[in-house]
Amino acid sequence: MAKRILRGVSWFVLFAAGFLALAHATNYSLWINGRTGGGQLGNHADFSYWGPATTNAGVNKKSVNWDGYNHVSDQNYLVRDALDCYCTGQNWCYIAVHSAGDLQIGYSLALYGGTSRMVKNASPNGQGQCGNLNGSSQTGWNIKWVDAGGGAAGGSELADAGDWALDEPLVADLKTTTARAMYDHSSTRATWFNMYAGASGTVYSFVLPGQDDEAIAYHSSGGVSGSGNGSFCNPSDWFCNDLTTGTAKNEGGRAKWGFHTVAFRDSSESYNHYTSGNWAGITSRVRADMEANAR
Amino acid sequence: MRPRRTAAALAALGLGVVLLWWAWGDAPQAAAAPTAAAPAPEPAPVAHAAAPTPSARAPDRSAARDLWKQRLERARRTLDSYREATRYPHESRPLAEHPDQVRPFEPVATERPLREPGGPAIEGLTLRTTQERVYSQGDESVLFTVAAIDGEGHTLPLQVPRAMAHEGATGARPSRIAPVMVQFTDDGRGGDTAAGDNVLSFRLQPTRDGFAELDGLIRVELALQSGEHPGYASFDVIHSPAAPAIWGATPREAVEAGSLNLYLPAQVLQPGRYVVAGRVDDADGRPVALLNFNDDLGVGPTEFKLQLFGKLLRDTQPAFPLVLRDVEAFLLKPDTFPDRSLMPRRAGTVYRTKAYPLVAFSAAEWSSEERNRYLTEYGKDVKEAEDHLKDLGSGP
Repeated sequence: MAKRILRGVSWFVLFAAGFLALAHATNYSLWINGRTGGGQLGNHADFSYWGPATTNAGVNKKSVNWDGYNHVSDQNYLVRDALDCYCTGQNWCYIAVHSAGDLQIGYSLALYGGTSRMVKNASPNGQGQCGNLNGSSQTGWNIKWVDAGGGAAGGSELADAGDWALDEPLVADLKTTTARAMYDHSSTRATWFNMYAGASGTVYSFVLPGQDDEAIAYHSSGGVSGSGNGSFCNPSDWFCNDLTTGTAKNEGGRAKWGFHTVAFRDSSESYNHYTSGNWAGITSRVRADMEANAR
Repeated sequence: MRPRRTAAALAALGLGVVLLWWAWGDAPQAAAAPTAAAPAPEPAPVAHAAAPTPSARAPDRSAARDLWKQRLERARRTLDSYREATRYPHESRPLAEHPDQVRPFEPVATERPLREPGGPAIEGLTLRTTQERVYSQGDESVLFTVAAIDGEGHTLPLQVPRAMAHEGATGARPSRIAPVMVQFTDDGRGGDTAAGDNVLSFRLQPTRDGFAELDGLIRVELALQSGEHPGYASFDVIHSPAAPAIWGATPREAVEAGSLNLYLPAQVLQPGRYVVAGRVDDADGRPVALLNFNDDLGVGPTEFKLQLFGKLLRDTQPAFPLVLRDVEAFLLKPDTFPDRSLMPRRAGTVYRTKAYPLVAFSAAEWSSEERNRYLTEYGKDVKEAEDHLKDLGSGP
């Protein structure tokens, strides 16, 4: 008898959990890494690229790991799989990206953001793929906004100038001309990209134009439009056009990409590019915003 | 007996669901964070992070109020901008919103220090490059130029002692094609605009230069020398050998459901997702719209439909006839590199429309399930922030 009751309770809990999963909207925080990768592909709990997995980095955080070595297009299925998993049906996502993760999410939205997506059950298998929830589909994903720290969607001169490994497929994508030609960066489906631009770089200052975080210059991390690179600085530099905060055109007249806003400009030159295995550098600003507002 | 047991079961189920809902909804954020180092078991999702409550002490209350004010401002900005932008569909946008897309076929210009990889930069010595296109197709060619510039903007003598084209960025995979030595010249021929101006040029034509069969990345690498200063440059071109579809002869237009639709005929040879973009100027040359097509197509004759949304026409009040220009199209190939097979680009005027009175078009905003979904969700975020601020009151 007790066994029967226990079995009944188990079935009830399973049924109720399924019912809740169907009916209850859940928000997720998706983190998309940049070059070098390091997290296990398809394991959304592996935050080794970023830092301790115990750190608060937004509600229901998931690590969308890709290898950070091959072409964006080769690896983009991992991003789309995660977006399908957590950002369809009743569920909504906040997206945080670092470096080439900016290219990944921009590419996803510009080329696949209007495609039909099956609504998924937010329960990934070992490859990071989720099952269909109920056979329904929707157009695009449910994304509240994107935070981009040290965003590399405009490429890096370190790829242009041969300072990074020339044979590496991702380095080819990160050439400024190629990154900017890969897709229409203003095509975000009206989803905001909040850009966090670091400026503590010194080592490569003679290669990276204007202000930089040691890997990415302001023209990219600030979401500045155009097919080529450019030199943008903090207002304290009189000999270089200012990267403006918000959505306004930059000094000199170059606009930002559509639905891109500079949420943070590193006027005190305090933040570099690197997470240092501890959510550090410009990522610390993104993480703080996710903790406060991704909920 | 059976109905009573069913009713009891349903009541128990309902009670259980309510209890679970209550327990889940109040779970603090900390419960969602894995406690062990990655990889960790997937935690149960939580509905929301814990929110500051009205019973918080005064300093906490003030901080909470500030936080919710910021959240409200952000939520309102997100809602308002989304509503404003999506008056028109994503595939029919004001061209001004897409600054990169206004002149898509202009050469890409860059400037950076003239130096070798890992080497020092020379103060005031800059390498200026142009590249005619990043993606090429079939018999298309790509012109590259290089020039050394001093601090006053003058071009300096520049030599290219060695230049080579090869398949690039192959990772661990060996190249499939032998490298080809190429020559940058300053003789006013073969794409070089003026002889002796210190701007050196080379025109790559993949089909002529040994890359006819390459579906991939061609890299042109140059050793440079300006006076005593060595330098390095490279250009990447992503090449598609064969067009996946062939353009048809004559586009057509139709006013349908309050919008002006432009149809570009094509014969699809390879099925899949086609991405097409075209620009529309008005009769005075004023940029009006960026039109996009992105859909799956089967083999056979088809038409790419580019929609000039009615309300966009009503709001921008263009002078007719309109001109469709600079159309690019490719077959998008998921999860591979290259990720696209290009159709030949159509530079310049592709089609000129008839003249219409503006009243021929609808002034209605775009309506779709996607838009409603987003407006509803963003609206909920605004209301939640407003409610929290109301609960927190205006006192200390």
